[in-house]
Amino acid sequence: MQIYLPIAELSVNLFFLVGIGGAVGFLSGLFGVGGGFLLTPLLIFSGVPASVAVASVTGQVVAASTSGALSHYRRGGIDLHLAMYLVLSGILGAVGGVAVFAMLRDAGQLDLVISVGFLVLLGSVGVLMLVESTRSLLKARKGIVVRERLPNQHNWIHGLPMRVRFKKSRLYISVLPVLGIGLFIGFVGSLLGIGGGFIMVPALVYLLRVPGSMVIGTSLAQVVAMMAATTMLHAVQSQSVDIMLAFCLMVGGTVGAQFGASAGKYLRGEQLRGLLALLVLAVAIRFGLSLVLTPSDVFSMAVQGIRQ
Amino acid sequence: MRRFCAIAAVLLALVLPAQAERLVSQLSNDSVEITSSFDGERMTFFGSIAPDAGSPDKFVTGPFQVVITIVGPTQVRVAREKTHNFGVWLNTEQVQFKDFPSYFHVLSSARLTDISDITTLTTNAILPESHTLTANDTDWWKTAVFGRELVRLMTEQGLFGVQENGVNFLSDNFYSARLTLPSNAPPGAYLAQTYVFKNGEIIARKSEGFSVRKIGFERFLALSAVQQPLLYGLICVILALFTGWLGGVVFRR
Repeated sequence: MQIYLPIAELSVNLFFLVGIGGAVGFLSGLFGVGGGFLLTPLLIFSGVPASVAVASVTGQVVAASTSGALSHYRRGGIDLHLAMYLVLSGILGAVGGVAVFAMLRDAGQLDLVISVGFLVLLGSVGVLMLVESTRSLLKARKGIVVRERLPNQHNWIHGLPMRVRFKKSRLYISVLPVLGIGLFIGFVGSLLGIGGGFIMVPALVYLLRVPGSMVIGTSLAQVVAMMAATTMLHAVQSQSVDIMLAFCLMVGGTVGAQFGASAGKYLRGEQLRGLLALLVLAVAIRFGLSLVLTPSDVFSMAVQGIRQ
Repeated sequence: MRRFCAIAAVLLALVLPAQAERLVSQLSNDSVEITSSFDGERMTFFGSIAPDAGSPDKFVTGPFQVVITIVGPTQVRVAREKTHNFGVWLNTEQVQFKDFPSYFHVLSSARLTDISDITTLTTNAILPESHTLTANDTDWWKTAVFGRELVRLMTEQGLFGVQENGVNFLSDNFYSARLTLPSNAPPGAYLAQTYVFKNGEIIARKSEGFSVRKIGFERFLALSAVQQPLLYGLICVILALFTGWLGGVVFRR
């Protein structure tokens, strides 16, 4: 069954859209990430213009993260104070990201920046996660008990000025790294059409030492708020949010995420992180190859300017 | 005065001997409506070549050839070329084509090169490449190279095409042609130009317009995205939050 997408101006099979939404939703529920880093490339590959894909996936990430964020909120797993700092700086970063996005699109370098951005980000995060999870898997096999949290281990970040107390996370740290993380993720997220959960979680754990019970919920709350703002920005600035496309992906995504979350209960934390690392690395390698390998067609075309 | 008129008539008849034919043609639909289940539309062009109104001839004598061009709304298109720098493939060169048709198809009753010469085909914008010959900022060589590649890319997307057996003659002077508009046909005003050739010369031509437009809900969505972007964005966000919440509620145990 074909469905016409009014902004992308083409017809796509409805079951295909709901299907990829569901598959990516399953993975995002399984690993607790938004899934934008998988969905955006998949849509571009299936013929949706890159600008429409990036803008519409931000809408889908909002939906995919909402149910998770709500259930964490009910369990008290969100540090709203910390999330607020992250969101405010994130929105600032997103404003910059959306502006750069429009500039790059007109200069013809958007594809390059998206490829390099995915390669660098996913590559580094993937390698770090793989090393960390392999290490803890090996330790677990040897029977060494790994301490979940290292509360007394401070690093240079804890020496910065402008300290603020985050009661729920039991942290008393400088706001500068918090704002920096928010700004960076806002910028990168709006530029690449990703929620940034897979950068946010390690940043909160390793840089800020946010306790494990707060990490996922706070990260999800931040993703919901920031991606909602990014959707608005894309809608106003590039007018390339396709609500039909976003809705089809949302329906698949929310259903898939529920199954993913139940499937996740059968796997251990280190195993999940290891699998996610492999997935992230695979996407990174795919982007790397597209930069290095001879393209099948050295010519490409695009329509310039806002349509209509 | 009478003599002058007679001379004028004779002169006119000498100057325009080929204008003894006229074209009567019709389109199957003058608007193509895009609905949610739009996946392309089939259109039929038909017509006949008849003696001109004031002509003494009762019959027209062929053989005739018919060429129909269908041109969609124009856009600004860029063609880009990737080159290998420092081990990485980058878009380095680009050529902009202003007023480039977003859709262009040619239907003809025979091979275009058999119907007429290249000059006639190019000056009447019958060949796809003739649309790339517009003035732009770069030199003509780059324009020619990038223009040819742009036509190829558009053809791969089904937006450009040449069907040299697209027009069928049902009798000596009655033809019909079929065109399937693809689902990615851009909305806007389209122009169908029909040319009748005889011995390589255009003896009659006619143009008809039709529109491809979104109707109903699709039109409403596309319009609100442009006219009320803030509200549109807000509704997208609310829809996303609601879908996410609903998903959580439905599947909660």
